[in-house]
Amino acid sequence: MTALVRAEWTKLFTTRVWIGLLLGAVVMVAGFTVLLTSFAGDPQSGIPEVGTPHYEELAFATSANVVVLFLILGLIGMTQEYRHRTATPTFLTTPRRGRVVIAKLVGYALAAVPFALVVLAVNYLVVAVHAGARGAAPSLTGDNLRVLLSAGLALVVYAIIGVGVGALLRNQVGAIVGALVYLFVVEPVIRSIPATAPAYKWMPGGALEAMTATLQGPDLLEAWQGGLVLLGYGLVAALLGTLLAVRRDVV
Amino acid sequence: MLWAPGEPTTAPGVRRGTPGSRCRAVGWLRPDDEEETAIHPGSSTHRDPVRIEVRGLTKSFGAVRAVDDLTFTVEPGSVTGFLGPNGAGKTTTLRMVLGLERPDAGTATFDGVTYPALPAPVRTVGAVLETAFHPARSGRNHLRVYCRAAGLPTARADEVLAQVGLTDAGGRRAGGYSLGMRQRLALATALLGDPAVLVLDEPANGLDPEGIQWLRGFLRHLAHDEGRTVLVSSHLLAEMEQTADRVVIVGAGRLVREGSIAELRSGAQGAGSVVVRSPEADRLAQILGSAGFTVTPDGDGLVTVAAATPADVGARAFQAGVELHELRAETSGLEDLYFRLTSGQEQFAAPHPDPTTQGATR
Repeated sequence: MTALVRAEWTKLFTTRVWIGLLLGAVVMVAGFTVLLTSFAGDPQSGIPEVGTPHYEELAFATSANVVVLFLILGLIGMTQEYRHRTATPTFLTTPRRGRVVIAKLVGYALAAVPFALVVLAVNYLVVAVHAGARGAAPSLTGDNLRVLLSAGLALVVYAIIGVGVGALLRNQVGAIVGALVYLFVVEPVIRSIPATAPAYKWMPGGALEAMTATLQGPDLLEAWQGGLVLLGYGLVAALLGTLLAVRRDVV
Repeated sequence: MLWAPGEPTTAPGVRRGTPGSRCRAVGWLRPDDEEETAIHPGSSTHRDPVRIEVRGLTKSFGAVRAVDDLTFTVEPGSVTGFLGPNGAGKTTTLRMVLGLERPDAGTATFDGVTYPALPAPVRTVGAVLETAFHPARSGRNHLRVYCRAAGLPTARADEVLAQVGLTDAGGRRAGGYSLGMRQRLALATALLGDPAVLVLDEPANGLDPEGIQWLRGFLRHLAHDEGRTVLVSSHLLAEMEQTADRVVIVGAGRLVREGSIAELRSGAQGAGSVVVRSPEADRLAQILGSAGFTVTPDGDGLVTVAAATPADVGARAFQAGVELHELRAETSGLEDLYFRLTSGQEQFAAPHPDPTTQGATR
């Protein structure tokens, strides 16, 4: 299994996809953090003032906004095997295909950890500098630290979900477009319609908000419950993806 | 060649781990969880021959029966051509043999073991199917990925690159490779584990004449000199006639003929047509006709004799004292036979549901 995980890392780091996604994540998190801090305390934006605990939690939850890129990292990692037809040599090398999917899940989860740490570090630095310039640099303790680490954990879990969903869908473009539509259309709509809003807390986005911090929104689970729900989605996607990869013909 | 037989066996130090540890060799059975183990360059001389046995293999896609009760054997130490027109089910058969697709019925085994159950598949079987690689990854890195996954030392990547003549291109992105280079890269991937069996699906596609020549020699070398089992599919008989020792011919998913090239040639149906020119064409036609040959006079002193060899016709003419101006085989018997066997889907199509969809396999 170690060999297979290392093979996945070789695949990941011998193309430049990871650089693009990591740079994108860094730019996004820096941008969102700057926006949030700039409009903090502005009565029209509704964002609490710099220095309040609520602002600080929101600021350290900004990394949760780039889960989409970690989801895409996992999606590409799995679906590129089908897109470039390398699934054939991959499964020839390892005919027990479940092991390939498990190696990918482990490999991408582990690779996502340093990526997530980079994103968290950028988030913290921007908050410290910008909020510091606006009067009060938040401390990295207590709830602030919990929110920051939860956001990092969410990034890793989304990479796992990406691998699992990729194994289910196999079509790279379809999977990425589907993921974007889901994250930016389906979930926000469900979240905002009163009739469906109660279901939102059980969805990945709701669980993510519960885990980190939110400005204002529907009823959410407790943070630890949100974490479990999100992990559950990751595991279900991984399990289904593994089963299907084992059963389906490689074409 | 990098590890031709007869090359002195490399010192034990090449292999990692403690010398003489038998358990180390057993560890090869689970390469996934093992430290990387070096391919023993001298191992080719001790390579155990592996026989491929296909028994009653059957696979349908919807109403189309792509492969129908196919049974054949591939022997070690020889090149076996797997012949059939496009859509005869060759690729589907090979993918089932390699465990990539699930047969509806039947088995395919390597010395009695199915591909997914092989303890070290890459070290037993190397396969060249469609050329598959990530376009942005270099050829060398492509090979390193599979070295890692199979627990082989990554140095094998450079060795196989040299073996297929891609050393200089190894650092370039595989997306920029020509078709012929892609085929070579696919072949290099198959050779990584120094396998006893090679399975190749249309490997000559996209190769220039020089490349085809090289491939022929390479495959024959792997089989004859190194004792490997080589199964290579093609839709062109001419390509196989000079490469293969044995052929397995399929049409519409069923076995049409199996045997050595020599057997096929000498078979009754193996004789082709002969063209003979004589000033006494009429008399010659009469003589040959009464000897039981099917004769077609073409005028201008030409006579075409079906199902005959130049030797047959020459002997008859000599006995009868007929003067000949020309005597030649128009088609090789094999080519005739292959054409007859595989054309006319109706004749050889699987007796299965919808006749309009027959043969329309992948």
